Amino acid sequence: MLKTNIEQLVKISVLGEIANPTMPGLPASPYIVSANGEPILVPSFGSIVYNIALGDRALGWAGELIQPGVSIKAGENANTALGVYACLGNRARVMNGPASGAIGFVTGKSGRFAEHVICHFESDAMDKMAPGDKVQIQGHGVGLQLVDFPKIQFKSCSPKLLEALDLKPVGDLKVSIPVKGIVPSVLAGAGAGLGSENGALNLQTSDPGLFSKCGLDDLCFGDIVAIADWDSRYGHGYLRQAMTIGVVCQGGSFRSGYGPGVVVIMTSKDDLIQPIVSSGSNIKQLLE
Amino acid sequence: MLRTNSNDLITMAVAGYVSAPMLARSPYQPDTEGVGRVLIGMSGIVYNARVGDPAFGWAGDHVEPSVSIAHPDFGIDHAMHYLSCVGNEAIVASGSALGAQGVVTGEHARLLVDFAPSILELLCIGDRILIKTRGRGMKLLDFPSVLVKKTSPDLLNRWGIRVSKENKLEVPVVAMIPAHLMGSGAELTPEYVDQDLMTGDRDELVRHGINKLRLGDLVAVMNTDHTYGRGYKLGGVTIGIIIHGDSVMTGHGPGCQDMLVSADSTIEPIITPNANIAGILGIC
Repeated sequence: MLKTNIEQLVKISVLGEIANPTMPGLPASPYIVSANGEPILVPSFGSIVYNIALGDRALGWAGELIQPGVSIKAGENANTALGVYACLGNRARVMNGPASGAIGFVTGKSGRFAEHVICHFESDAMDKMAPGDKVQIQGHGVGLQLVDFPKIQFKSCSPKLLEALDLKPVGDLKVSIPVKGIVPSVLAGAGAGLGSENGALNLQTSDPGLFSKCGLDDLCFGDIVAIADWDSRYGHGYLRQAMTIGVVCQGGSFRSGYGPGVVVIMTSKDDLIQPIVSSGSNIKQLLE
Repeated sequence: MLRTNSNDLITMAVAGYVSAPMLARSPYQPDTEGVGRVLIGMSGIVYNARVGDPAFGWAGDHVEPSVSIAHPDFGIDHAMHYLSCVGNEAIVASGSALGAQGVVTGEHARLLVDFAPSILELLCIGDRILIKTRGRGMKLLDFPSVLVKKTSPDLLNRWGIRVSKENKLEVPVVAMIPAHLMGSGAELTPEYVDQDLMTGDRDELVRHGINKLRLGDLVAVMNTDHTYGRGYKLGGVTIGIIIHGDSVMTGHGPGCQDMLVSADSTIEPIITPNANIAGILGIC
């Protein structure tokens, strides 16, 4: 087991409410415009999604960037704290309403235009929930490091997930991690230039050929993927040799520049993370 | 001669105000290496950067050349964003420079308008600027797969665009930019503001010969589909204009605003070293 600084980490509460879906107001044009100019009307960010869960396929839904399970949000600056502090694998607990006491865990985040934290709960608990119910997260993971690999940054990664990731040292400087696939940086789309602590980076599907060539057609929620030549230390951007590891948390998209969203959990400027393509790298199995 | 529907276009006024620079209470932004930096260059009147000047090398960030204008009303501000085209005429509508003429040079978070240095000396933050918007709805009648975005008829006429024997649209540009260097702005539609080049990897810029771009340069972004979004697509070509300066932030850099886009290979970029609106529009 790689040595961490877990004893230094602060575990802190952040509270959100289950977010209603939203649609644009007057003049009441609810359409998004697809990559080839077609108006599309489908469900999108937020709310309680009853029939799509962590581990299910991420692509092919009649939805736009669908977030599986339960999406929560807080007000203004409290939402920034919620988005930054919540780490994948952190405990989520319903605090009021008929589902009060139900326990789930954090599985993702969405970025600009939604800014939700995405949580997994069992179906019977979701049946008792309603938008507006309070969900509290035990935020634990901000500041996490591997003591012997300080140049690898972790974000949105709970100690519990780190422990389950099956990281292995490769010599003195590098660690390896099992991933579902390795994505070339040219497919990193929306999210580039935006914050990497509290948002998603979307893998573009507007050129299905290249996406398919990377072996990502059967991508599932919770899959761990690597993005090559990509630096997510202080925002998201292109950098040769940099490597970024993310977890799929939003479904596919009809729009150009968009596609399944990933939340970044590891990143390094230099060639210090070695992704190894493996079929079993999904946080559903790792965390349950 | 390019056939267009310019006789059918509407010329419509929209007015905004010379904007004021703003900073957060904590002024630091991390650069690509995580060092806190105070960024200067957006909004207000920038006296010493103009189209034709370098996009790189300023001790500033996202430098917006000349005058940046905005409107406090959300709807009016968006109308200004969506209706204004590069090359549209701007007229000072209040204050000491009343009646002075300028020209729209791009669209960032605010609309960018060039005025001569003597006019800048007279302008005050808050002065009202009227834009005679014209160009929205413009079509190239013989090239239906090419969408015109925020290009004024005046710029289109003076650009030097030709039609090749193979019926391709030959568009003069200073450089070709590979798709993998396009960053911030991917989340927006191509009708709204710009998309930044990602300049965190300096050697990569040199390798592609795009480390000396200038403000106002017309460029081609290869293998992109910017017809209704900003994404990667093999074979697609986007023609843009460099509207603001470089940035120290990850995923950011000089801004490229969409001008002529096609998801197929109808557009053929022709490298032309002086393809910059400063010369093409006779600005300076």
